Amino acid sequence: MSTVSPPAKPEPVVAPWARPFWDAAAKGQLALQQCEDCSKFIFYPRVACPHCASERIAWRTASGRGTVYSYTVVENNAPSAFIADMPFVVAVIRLEEGVQMLSNIVGCDPDKLRCDMEVVVTFERLNDNFVLPKFRPASNS
Amino acid sequence: MSRTRGKTAIVGIGEIPTGRYPERPAISFALDAARMAIEDAGIGKDEIDFVMPTGALFSGQFNTELVTCRVVEELGLKNVVGNCQVFSGGSSSTNGLRMASALIETGRAEAVLFVHTDKLGTGVSSQGGIDLFSTAGISAEWETPYGQHYSTVAALTTTRYKYETGATDEHLSAVCVSNRKWAELNPNAFFRKPLTLEEVMASKMLSTPLRAKHSNMLLDGGAAFIVTSAERARDLTDTPAYVLGEGGAVTHFAFHQEPDLTRFGWAKAAQQAFGEAGLTPADIDVAEIYDSYPIYQLIAFEELGLCGRGEAGEIFLRGDTWPGGRLPTTTDGGMLSKGHIGAGGSVSLLVEAARQLMGKAGERQAPNARFAVETAVGGTYMDAQVTILGTEIPS
Repeated sequence: MSTVSPPAKPEPVVAPWARPFWDAAAKGQLALQQCEDCSKFIFYPRVACPHCASERIAWRTASGRGTVYSYTVVENNAPSAFIADMPFVVAVIRLEEGVQMLSNIVGCDPDKLRCDMEVVVTFERLNDNFVLPKFRPASNS
Repeated sequence: MSRTRGKTAIVGIGEIPTGRYPERPAISFALDAARMAIEDAGIGKDEIDFVMPTGALFSGQFNTELVTCRVVEELGLKNVVGNCQVFSGGSSSTNGLRMASALIETGRAEAVLFVHTDKLGTGVSSQGGIDLFSTAGISAEWETPYGQHYSTVAALTTTRYKYETGATDEHLSAVCVSNRKWAELNPNAFFRKPLTLEEVMASKMLSTPLRAKHSNMLLDGGAAFIVTSAERARDLTDTPAYVLGEGGAVTHFAFHQEPDLTRFGWAKAAQQAFGEAGLTPADIDVAEIYDSYPIYQLIAFEELGLCGRGEAGEIFLRGDTWPGGRLPTTTDGGMLSKGHIGAGGSVSLLVEAARQLMGKAGERQAPNARFAVETAVGGTYMDAQVTILGTEIPS
């Protein structure tokens, strides 16, 4: 057995214009950009609206509610920094605001996962620098 | 739409067997494949006037050698006006052919050598390969921190596709079995022992519902092809593989941004390609479908119009795609059985499409192969690409 400790979890490599997202996450809020011209929500954060190219973009606090577009339970062959976490769930979440994001689903028996199930945001501290938005089932029903 | 139909052709192909070659330098795969392609085309090396090495992922240092003309110097090519890397990951084959054709059609080049080499089998460790593909083409801000890697990418599509279509694990596994039947006939393939559905479905679970034998294996290899004008092609050979049509649809960078995880841009790309070629899916005699994971072969097969939505699994299961079947598919064994050599996964498929049309596929030759479709896609299935080749130019 190797005595080498596993590599540290990769931190998000933050684009300067996305900093408000991570600052909000550190406070337990899910922040999304919204275009002030076409009103569409934007994720991930952009320098200009990807729909209408407007530069008039505001930050909003999202509802944190969404559904599972798809999911997978990682049981083997994870990247080095995630081997100790197996099994863990990677999912694409469709937020109520109409955008999609990748995240982990936590606090759920993997056998109970299904597409289109309702989830809500929760926050997990990655390290001293980052808090990651994750998702959990909306209810136990 | 027939602006480029039949204006250029692939006239020479080369390929080394996919494998594990710890003792061989990566440049040797490129040089061997390029020399085979030049010989196959029947042209002098100094007729090559443009070289397109695609990217190698195993080493950034080595890749800069490809960028800075090492292939030209090693082969002693004396009349090359440009050596320029064309690299879009797994779709490099189609983009390379597209760029080569454009140079030829506009008179900027007469004979283009496209060449691929990579050493992902022995140039990186097994875990190193997993780690590489948790960063290469994966968003470092929005996905890598959540443990995203290529198995999860494929698994996320598979989960949703099964949910929407009712496809089963047998359907997915049937792709692996079909491709293996072709690999058994391909001396350049790495996995050549017969494979059963039961073996696939009993293999280790990676990311649900994706199992180990649903996954490609990273290996060493290289391939090359030569593109020239249709006029020059007819001087060189009786069996040019004409470029009849192509289409593409870039749909995302970060995987989670993809609006339709079970379709991607294939239908749009196929419509362009078939439209330009003046052909329909029913005209296709051989299909070389990109298969880094079985789900992508099923989806592309359906979205190309080779069958209806949700029907591909049954078609692979009942053998229509096998040797002797109605529509020979991924006849080199694909990345699932021939092996995954990075950008070369689709280069192999394009070379195989040309090989089938040239009548050089030996034991696995598809009968009366006049029209072939090849698909390619890079990154996390970001840019559906469709190419149609033929032995003749439809009137």
